[in-house]
Amino acid sequence: MLNFLRRFTYQFKEYILFILLVVISLSLLSSNDRPEVKNVRKFALGNFAFVNSMLSYISDIFRTNPSYNKLKEENAKLMLEINRLRKAEIENKNLRTMLSLPDTMKYPLVAVDIVSKLVNKIQGNFIINRGLKDSIHVGMPVISSKGLVGIIADVTKNFSVVKTLYNSSLNIAVTVQNINVDGVLTWNGHELMIKNIPTTYEINVGDKVETSDFSSLFPPNIPVGVISKKESLAIGLLHTVYVEPFIDIRSANNLFVVKVVPSKQINNLEMNLMK
Amino acid sequence: MIWNFLKPVLIFIPLATLQLVIVPLITVYDIAPNLILILIVYYTLIYGQIFGIIAGFVLGLLFDLISGSMIGASSLAFTVSAFIAGYFYNENKIDINTASFLFVIILFLCGVVNSFLYSSVMTNNPDVNFVTLILDIGILPGLYTAALGLPVIILKPKKGIV
Repeated sequence: MLNFLRRFTYQFKEYILFILLVVISLSLLSSNDRPEVKNVRKFALGNFAFVNSMLSYISDIFRTNPSYNKLKEENAKLMLEINRLRKAEIENKNLRTMLSLPDTMKYPLVAVDIVSKLVNKIQGNFIINRGLKDSIHVGMPVISSKGLVGIIADVTKNFSVVKTLYNSSLNIAVTVQNINVDGVLTWNGHELMIKNIPTTYEINVGDKVETSDFSSLFPPNIPVGVISKKESLAIGLLHTVYVEPFIDIRSANNLFVVKVVPSKQINNLEMNLMK
Repeated sequence: MIWNFLKPVLIFIPLATLQLVIVPLITVYDIAPNLILILIVYYTLIYGQIFGIIAGFVLGLLFDLISGSMIGASSLAFTVSAFIAGYFYNENKIDINTASFLFVIILFLCGVVNSFLYSSVMTNNPDVNFVTLILDIGILPGLYTAALGLPVIILKPKKGIV
């Protein structure tokens, strides 16, 4: 019996090793959420990202003037303010009595640089050069001067991983600004899309899309993009709209993290769509 | 013998840095080559299937740790790719496999499998359809990776230093 096992193992050693390593890989995949695995990942990420950050100056061919960065931050704040005011104007036009509208929430912004990018059609991720020591936490939105870029997915002491809009596992509650119809924005590998919008809503190409009040992860009214195309489903009751983001994610740089902590109370509610 | 195992790991470190910092600059519509795969396929064709499988697993795991993606995704994809590349290993034809156009073809095949498997494992979105996975995420990155394998066969050192 032992001889048979020995012969069998020797004859099929490649297959046995292959199956063993595949099983180990699959079990690692299923245990990504465990704290031990997360700690190991944070340690490795934090140390290697330091090496990447030393070389990332290569991708910044032109050194930016510090005052230019300050202007970009100011621009990002103004972009958020303008979009909020645009929404307020639409609401007024529709004769909503919102005299008790809350004051503009001033979100503190942290300027960040991209250290490295994991380029994939489906899983767009960045690593940025800010982390826990800059009070960055998982779930904080990341924006540019033009609009939403993504969300902080993982944080180490000095670096963070950003899950971008071009990541199929990121689903964002959004609203079409003019008509206040809500939907969930997803990435299908090619385009950003919002599915199953009833055709009773008058959605036009060019309508602006922003984060929704529904979202417990993103503050509302952050610009996301514009409607570029819409498609009706065969039965004609629903359509799918495609969104062109304001920011070109592939060439994104000079980003800002919005220091907004998601509400724990909202997260615990059963109706939270982002859970 | 130990040096044979250390060589890929040492070459992996600068390659991984290039993959994360420089390769995003040369992508075409999010289609990027995989430099780590070139390394793994090359060493599989030189040292055999078992070496390749182990190298694929270890280097894939390291890459998952340092890139911020799901742990196990790259290790699975590289292990399978090395297993396929290992079928082309022949100790009498190492030079033919690594210094001729056959290397590019093997690289293309492994690149397609690697990209497809990696993306299939990472995505949980039903809107990503199978044709997109095969064409955009499988074949095109495989082609790009194979194209970057051309300098390997042109510049392959004769003395086997690498």
